[in-house]
Amino acid sequence: MHRSPVLEAHHFEALGTICSLFGLDVSRAQLLQGEFWVRVLGTRVTRFSERSELALLNRAAADWVDISPEMEELLREALRAFELSAGLVNAAVLPSMLAIGYTRTLAEGVTTATLSDAHPAPPLTDVLTVRLGRARLERGCGLDLGGIAKGWMADRLAAQLGANVLANIGGDLRAAGPGPKGDGWPVGFGGVTVMLRDQGAATSSVRRRRWGELHHLIDPRTGLPSTSELQEVSVVAATGCDAEVVAKTALLLGPGLAPSYCAVHAQACWLSR
Amino acid sequence: MRSFLLKLGATVLTLSTTFASALYVTAHLKNPSAPLQPTVLASQQEGTVAGVTFTPGVRQGDVQPVTSTYAS
Repeated sequence: MHRSPVLEAHHFEALGTICSLFGLDVSRAQLLQGEFWVRVLGTRVTRFSERSELALLNRAAADWVDISPEMEELLREALRAFELSAGLVNAAVLPSMLAIGYTRTLAEGVTTATLSDAHPAPPLTDVLTVRLGRARLERGCGLDLGGIAKGWMADRLAAQLGANVLANIGGDLRAAGPGPKGDGWPVGFGGVTVMLRDQGAATSSVRRRRWGELHHLIDPRTGLPSTSELQEVSVVAATGCDAEVVAKTALLLGPGLAPSYCAVHAQACWLSR
Repeated sequence: MRSFLLKLGATVLTLSTTFASALYVTAHLKNPSAPLQPTVLASQQEGTVAGVTFTPGVRQGDVQPVTSTYAS
């Protein structure tokens, strides 16, 4: 007798945001393992913990640092994002993040901003070198892997969990397989529902994670929060990480150039002023 | 004598293959109006719907979404 697949879902809070995992013919134990993986990796890539791998690299002052295979992959992804975005998605914006007062998790609250300390970010490819099992960051620089890590985790989780799954890590998501009814995974996207199949999607927004006149989305060209006239951009792309990069790039480009950029790099997009 | 026969055989084979290929190609002329194979599925919402710009690779659905990109 034919058994219809059961949709299993699991929601949890991690990385300062909400994560959701869905799977057809995936056990609850597998989804819990997925949560565990996110939490473990989260402790390695967070900049808010003194003991994280990222914090060690940020403090190393141009010394070579041993890194895990996951961190190596993530750093290479950050370099790829820098190239894909023509430099607009630049993980080396940590000094600006600190200057705007984003020195700890938003749950703990921001600290006083010292915008005079914010400067244009150096080209990531000039300051970050990644080799097999080790990395080096130039003195005075700092990395914030932010959205790159979420998109990358969504992609990896989807690949690990099964053939028909969806991983949503704080809004950066990756859908794999034909979905619950064979016509894709239904995902809320810019006010409509899109059916995703082996695709990623993400939203970049300055409407959240903001306080007063400031917000978390740094324009590396100025080192200050983006003043683009776009408030929010949602993108569907081949992977969750690509969607994150394209959405952020489009938002930073603004309403003049974003449609052209999205026409080349996005499979669907929604731009909001 | 034997090498001559081998050369002759190779020449005949080459010429006959060329001739057969030419016959086949002229008998199967390309039809520029032939449909694409496999048929490309029609894009249902190519263009802009409710402010969202779609390419043929993405389909709009009319079911309740299980999740959303808007989280952080």
